Amino acid sequence: MPIPDKIAAANKINEFLRGVVANAGLRLKYRITVDPPLPEERDWERPEILVEFAGPDSALMLERGAELLRSIELLAIEMLRLSGNEHEKISFDCMNHRAMRIEELRMAASVAAEKVRKTGAPYKFAPMSSRERRIVHLALRDEADLRTESEGEGMRRCLVVYPKDSRSVSSAARRGIR
Amino acid sequence: MSEQSGDPKILLEHVTKALVDAPDQVSVSQIEEDGEIVLELTVAENDLGKVIGKSGRTARALRTLLSAAGIKAQKRYALEILE
Repeated sequence: MPIPDKIAAANKINEFLRGVVANAGLRLKYRITVDPPLPEERDWERPEILVEFAGPDSALMLERGAELLRSIELLAIEMLRLSGNEHEKISFDCMNHRAMRIEELRMAASVAAEKVRKTGAPYKFAPMSSRERRIVHLALRDEADLRTESEGEGMRRCLVVYPKDSRSVSSAARRGIR
Repeated sequence: MSEQSGDPKILLEHVTKALVDAPDQVSVSQIEEDGEIVLELTVAENDLGKVIGKSGRTARALRTLLSAAGIKAQKRYALEILE
């Protein structure tokens, strides 16, 4: 479902970020784009509002897996009161970090796929956010001999790649309880 | 770009007011403790969930933002959400 009023949402984000950047003392500029054009290889991810930061404090934004960038993004999404499946309609980026991270995840996905094919054993990724797990899920969706599943809860939730016909750990555990 | 100085207390108020249903009930008090500045955040009871978030995600994001503001201000900030 698209965001009902994108212009109003973009204005709210602008007002929110103006106060955040100024009061945090961050030396950053940002640009907000509604319905941004994106390269074709990202056709499965269509943000309706793109916020791009740049400036001397970009490095601070991108430290520790872009923790500050992700935090400001999360707070903006909470501020807009978007429902869960609308979160991906908003995308915050800084110095093209997101595009590079997507490329990284897709490469990791293909390495994992090869590993699972070669060994026949499941491959478990380190814990990732729902957005990052989605990128890996989608990167492997056309691999007919594999399937992907997310396991674990909250911050520990991670993605597992399985050979198509192998039983997943979590469903086996559930069966054990019954 | 000119060098700006931020104010983490106003930052916390600004962000919290945007998150909650009752912005007029948001208050932040600042206490200095052993070289660390503790920001005590009070919100309406019904808004507690909004500042804490699903498995504490929103509170964690607030702390990350405050620590970045602290780096810029060269001071250490801690957030306490009062219940």
